[in-house]
Parts: sequence; C-alpha cells; structure tokens
Amino acid sequence: MTNPRIGVYVCHCGTNIAGKVKVTDVVEHAKKQPNVVLAKEYKFMCSEPGQAMIVEDIKKEKLDRIIVAACSPLMHEKTFRKALEKAGINKYLFQMANIREHCSWVHEDGAAATEKAKALVTGAIYRAQYVEALNDREAPMNPATLIVGGGIAGIQAALDIADSGRQVYLVEKEPSIGGHMAQFDKTFPTLDCAACILTPKMVSIGQHPNITLLSYSEVEKIDGYVGNFKVGVRMKARYVDPKKCNGCGDCWQKCPAWRVEKPKGDKKVVHNALTLGPTKAIYMPTLQSVPNVPVIDKKSCIYFKNGKCKICVKACQKDAINHEMTDVVMDIDVGNIIVTTGFKTFDVSKMPQYGYGKLPNVISSIEFERMNCSSGATGGQVLCQNGEAPKSIAILHCIGSRDKEHHEYCSRVCCMYALKFAHLVKEKTGAQVYDFYIDMRAAGKGYEEFYNRLLEEGVRFIRGKAASVTDYAVFPEEEGKLIVRCEDTLVGKVRRIPVDMVVLCSALEANADAPEFARLLKLCQGKEGWFTEKHPKLAPVSTASDGIYIAGCCQGPKDIPDTVAQASAAAAQVLTAIAKGKVQIEGVGAEIIEEKCTGCKICNDMCPYKAIEFDAVKHKSKVNDALCKACGTCVAACPCGAIKAKHFTDEQIMHEIEGVLYDAKL
Amino acid sequence: MKEQKGIQREGRLTLDFIDEMKQIPGGEQIALCIQCGTCSGSCPTSHLMTHTPRRLIAMTRAGMRKEVLESPDIWLCTSCYYCYVRCPRGIKVTDLMYAYKRLSARDKFGIQKRGYKLGKIFMSVVNKYGRNNELELLAKFFGFANPIGGIKNTFIGLGLFLKGRLPLKTHKIKDLGGFKKIVNKAEELARLP
Repeated sequence: MTNPRIGVYVCHCGTNIAGKVKVTDVVEHAKKQPNVVLAKEYKFMCSEPGQAMIVEDIKKEKLDRIIVAACSPLMHEKTFRKALEKAGINKYLFQMANIREHCSWVHEDGAAATEKAKALVTGAIYRAQYVEALNDREAPMNPATLIVGGGIAGIQAALDIADSGRQVYLVEKEPSIGGHMAQFDKTFPTLDCAACILTPKMVSIGQHPNITLLSYSEVEKIDGYVGNFKVGVRMKARYVDPKKCNGCGDCWQKCPAWRVEKPKGDKKVVHNALTLGPTKAIYMPTLQSVPNVPVIDKKSCIYFKNGKCKICVKACQKDAINHEMTDVVMDIDVGNIIVTTGFKTFDVSKMPQYGYGKLPNVISSIEFERMNCSSGATGGQVLCQNGEAPKSIAILHCIGSRDKEHHEYCSRVCCMYALKFAHLVKEKTGAQVYDFYIDMRAAGKGYEEFYNRLLEEGVRFIRGKAASVTDYAVFPEEEGKLIVRCEDTLVGKVRRIPVDMVVLCSALEANADAPEFARLLKLCQGKEGWFTEKHPKLAPVSTASDGIYIAGCCQGPKDIPDTVAQASAAAAQVLTAIAKGKVQIEGVGAEIIEEKCTGCKICNDMCPYKAIEFDAVKHKSKVNDALCKACGTCVAACPCGAIKAKHFTDEQIMHEIEGVLYDAKL
Repeated sequence: MKEQKGIQREGRLTLDFIDEMKQIPGGEQIALCIQCGTCSGSCPTSHLMTHTPRRLIAMTRAGMRKEVLESPDIWLCTSCYYCYVRCPRGIKVTDLMYAYKRLSARDKFGIQKRGYKLGKIFMSVVNKYGRNNELELLAKFFGFANPIGGIKNTFIGLGLFLKGRLPLKTHKIKDLGGFKKIVNKAEELARLP
C-alpha cells in the first residue's frame, strides 16, 4: 500500500478562530506530520474559493486524504464532503478537526488554545492515515405519512400532504379531531369564529380520499427507520360502529346516565365542568365532531356497571351500538411521521393564592373559553355560578408562566387571549374589566393594534401581577365579592379590587404523556418538556430522528397562525423526502466479520434498532444495513470483537487518540 | 384595619374619571397611553414632580381623581411641548396638562397652588397691557403668593433688573379692547361644563 497523501487546511473563520488560535503555528505544526503533503490556512474554508482550493489541490497534488480544521462537523462536514466528491475522491476520506466550538470559542488563553488546536489537528492527521473509502446505501421511501395528533397542526399537515396525492394516517386520541381550537369561540386578533374557520378543514379530513382518520386511537409502538416505519396503532373501543352510525343523536337523548351532570340547586353554572359537558354516558364530544360518531364512556355507562340497561341499543335504528366491542391494534407502514400532539393547560390549582377550586367564580382560561363558545353549556353567555352576568371581572395574566416555581417561559398566547376575553366580556356583559399584566406581549401581525383597540374600549389595564384573590372583605364595598390584591406599579400603590369573577390565564405546558411518547419515538425533550427541534433556527420542524417531524405546540407554545405555518412547513419537508423517492443511508455502520462471529446472539438483543438478524443456516449474526444507525452498541457488546464499526474502527480511534496526545511525555 | 392603611381602596376611587377626561379638550386620547414614559423622560421639570406626567395618566386611569387634581405637579408644566412632539401614541400631553389645570381650577382643587396663582396673575397683567410686564408679574407673584421665595431670589432679580430684563414701564398695545375680546372668546371656548 502506498502512503496516503494528506492535505491539511486550517480555517480562520474570520476572527472566530484566528482571534484566539495562532493559525500559522498550527499550519507549521501540521506540515511536520507524517504523510502531510501540504498545509494551508484560509480566511473562510467554507466559502466558494475555499472549497475550490481543496478541489484544485486534490487534482494537482494527487491528495487522497483531506483534513479541514474549522468548525463543528455538524456545520460543514457535508460542504467539504461535497468538495471531495467534486474532485473525484470518496467523501469518507475527509476528516474534520473542530477547533472552533471545541477550542477557540471555549478557551480564554490563546497560547493554550493554539496547543489544543495542534493536538486536535494531529489527531485528525493520525486518524486520516487509516480511514477507508465507504459507499452510501439507499433504501426505498414509503410515500405514506403518519400524523399523530388531530389538532389544527395535524389537520393542516394532513390536508397539505393528502392534497398532493399521498396517503396520510391521522391518529387522534380523542373521539373527535379539532383539538384545542375546536373548543374556542373566537380567535385573536381578528375575532373570527374558531369553528367557522376550523370545521371546513375538519370536514375535509373526514371526506378526503387520501386520509385515513383513526380517531379515539393511540400510537402504541414504532419500529423501523426513515422511509420504512412500522407503526402499531391501538384503536380504542368506542362501542359504536362508525360504519353504521349516522350521528342522529337518538342514543344520547335516551341515555339515562350522566357522564358530566347538569348543575343542580343554587349552582346555575358549574364552571369546572364546562370543559367536559354536561354530557350523557354515550356522547358526542361537540356538535361538529369529526367523525360524527358518539362514544360510550365506560365509567359512567350503566351497562358496564351492572350488565343491564342497553337503552341506547334499543334507541339506535341503525343497530350501530355494540357493547362487546374491543380494542383493535392496527399495523400501518409509513415513510415519515409528523408529531402534532399539542399541549395541555397548566393546572391553576397549583397556585393556591388565587383560590381556584375553593372560591366560586374563580375560573381557568379554558373554562372561560368554553363558557364563551356558543356551542358550550351556557350558550356563549358569560355567567357567574348563580346564573347572573358579572358586573366586574378580573383577568389575571401569567398564571404558571414566567414563574420559576412553575414554568420559566412565557406562554406567548396568554396576553392575546386575555385581550380577547376582555373584549368578549365588554361586548357581552358591559362589565368593568380589570386586566392584570406583567408585560403586554403583543408581538404579531395585528396584535399591537388589537391591544390599542382594547385600550380604547376602556379596559382597565393594571401593570402588576395580581398577588392573591380572596373573599375576605375588609371594606364595605368588598362584601360578597372576590378581592384581587395587587400592586399597581404604574401608580405606585397597592390596590384591592373587588370583582364578581376572576379568570386565570393559565400557561401552556407539555402533555403529561410527552416523556412516554418521546421515548416511543426517540424524540428529545427540552428542560420544559417540549419536544426539541433539530436546530432552533434553521431546522425548526425536523428532529434528531430522521423522518420524524414536529409541528405546533408540542414543540413550544405558539398561536394558531404560527402553528399552521409550522404544520405546513413540516408537510413540505415530508413531501420533499417523498419526492426524492429514496432514503440515503450513510456508509457508516456496523459490519460483522463472519470468521470471528461465534453466533452467540448477544448483539441481536442489544441493538436498539433491531438491525441485527441471525442467520440460522450459517449460525452467524448479520447486520441489516438499512436499519443500522451506527450507534456502536453491538461493537462494544461483542465478546469476540467480531463487529467492526465502519469509519470508527478501533485502529482509527486508537491512532486518533495517539495523535491528540502527540506531545504527551510518558 | 390598621395594616390596610395606605392601600388604595376601590371604593374611594372615581372610576369614571378617565371618561370625564376624555370629554375635556386635550384629554380625548388619554386611553391610548401605553405608559412608555417618553413624556416623563422628556419633561424638563419632571425631576421636581411627585407624580410625573406618565404617572398622572396611570392615576387617571385608576380613578385617582382627587390625587391628580390636587397634585402641584400639573402646574409645573412649562408648556415646552417636548412630550407632545415625542409621544409615540400621538397623545397631546401638554394639552392634557392644560385639561388637568382647567379641571383643577374649576373644581377649586388648585386655587391654593402657586402655579394656579402665577397663571391668574399672569393673565391679569396681560389683560392690563395686552402684553407681559415681567417686573409687575414678579412683584405681584412674590408679593401675593410666595414672599419668602421673593427674598431668596432678590439677587437674581437685581441682576435681571441691571441687565434691563425687568422694565419699569410697559406700553399698552394698540387696540387693547380688541385683544380683550380675543381673550374672552378663548376663555368662553375653553370653559368647562
């Protein structure tokens, strides 16, 4: 074997590297290393001329190993690999030394940083002597897509993909799609009716020939890899056959059992039941449900308690109700997955100073949304528990948001929905509205204008987070009222404000089952529980797992326009992947050396991607290249050292270490 | 009850004060304020104020009618119009200050204030000559409203006098009657209900 011919290029990255590391010293050092034919420095290696320089040198000097000492391979490995391909040599003969993120950016002492840069470059040079040419592999791309979560994000993404003629499976865990948006009455800042803009999309989902809607279902397992996922979906028994049911409503009108009871006695309105009902044991989530099929709540149904009743079965003329129905697990094959599992609202009872759950007429924002919704229990009227309209109402921002005890982040939508609430209350009741805010965050198209409108409408904005809500009256005007205590920071006074109703604008938070779901899909979660995107700015809908995308509030709190935009972006990414038709799989991966394999099968169970099969005839294990993610688990596990990690062989790694420690005094 | 002292009671507020202000010429745009503080930051006399212009607007919104109209700060406005031209919401803050002053004068909140007295004396001097006479204005103001201040400022006054800035004699303008008609008309237009 002839000696390799190595070219080393050290990048200044403007002053990012050169400001700390003495690049010239590094170049001089590299020149002295074995098999290094040339070493050069340049201001920006990633620029067009920088790449052209590499291509030219490869041709002129017959280089067959290239090392660039610059930024992280995550940034530019692809760029330089392309340059190698352009020059006609295998892209895996490229090696990157990270002297920016790992060196110049993190060290203060320039001289020491220069020494470290030398060590890193030497490591790369030693390693480069042993790298081998590898070939990429291809796998087919399944054009079907799975979308998990049927809120506005899932609906938008499903329609975008289905309209292009590709198959979409939309999985929703609730009996109807629509998510949170379907519970709202109006949407800020334009105040258009949520149902009016959402239901046409919901109906399109139900009717679309390319969309298979799996409502009341949950994803149970996911195997495979980008282009070829195998997904198990559990379709929960809803006890009503969707094929026979025509949604007439006879069943729930006759049903004698309540799932969420109607208010009784003095209580005309039960605020904390607003999100759920009142509904019978067999119920339709909303009047505009898609699919338009009711579901039986097993907990409240009389038949499931004592085996008698079946009044609904008698009432149903279509013979659609079947109490013996069981869960069905369905296997589907898809190429890509979009996760749009949304959010849940913060449990405001965690902040006892506001009296939620103890004081009447202290309600959470989602309950207030339901009360405002014309299809809700109060028919869109804003009412206190005694059935009367409030004369004054306090809206408290940032409940659970911007609070180290709960969620440090800003939930982004609360200011705007609080303004919407204030407007709706003014419009419906003419009540005095007090709005307690820390900062008014109205960053969005038309949002500041909406705030101005509310200022003119005469809402009393008080800058200062409300500290507590109590019913303990100190002054005569406070008798029988809820008293909000706060500092009006703009006036510089502590105030006690008596009101009839308090609305707590709860934070948005990650779903309770998000960790479980993240494990299932191998997604990453941030500190606050939201799913993490691949890059916060430049890859906002991709994830660390190829072929899995995220959109909407499961990635972080956002409003409807941003959610829809992100959903369409995720759909576009999926369509791009589908249009390519094939999945490129890197040449890096595990390879079993048959002569050494004893067939002990230890690796078979170790592999987290189920990429290793056992060939019973040969009594040897075998790696499925398409499934292998090059994690290296099997390499470490094999007791015989029979598995080789291509591009990360023992030889390569040991020599790299030797290079990094080139000046170590033993 | 002692611990609750100093707390702003909602029952002691005049909740419709902001609506009252909206009715007064100059006060119409008060609801548009976003409390950025440009007015107070620009104001050359805000460092002398207990309540800056921004806070006066906040207090108006809260309904603290008495506190606002009693405040000597509304009389400290020198009508430099910095706030007026700089306000990002286009609120005519100087006009708003005049609205406060008029309301304060009408409801007799301000008659004990020097600012109010200075204004009254200024108008009496101007009505007399059709223009200002600085010596007469200062003599009357310090004489009636602020004798101690007059003594404190004797040397400044002397300096001004020696430079000829405090004339002993002032000529009346031509057609003083016509001028008075203008002033009366203006007063009639700005009169509050």
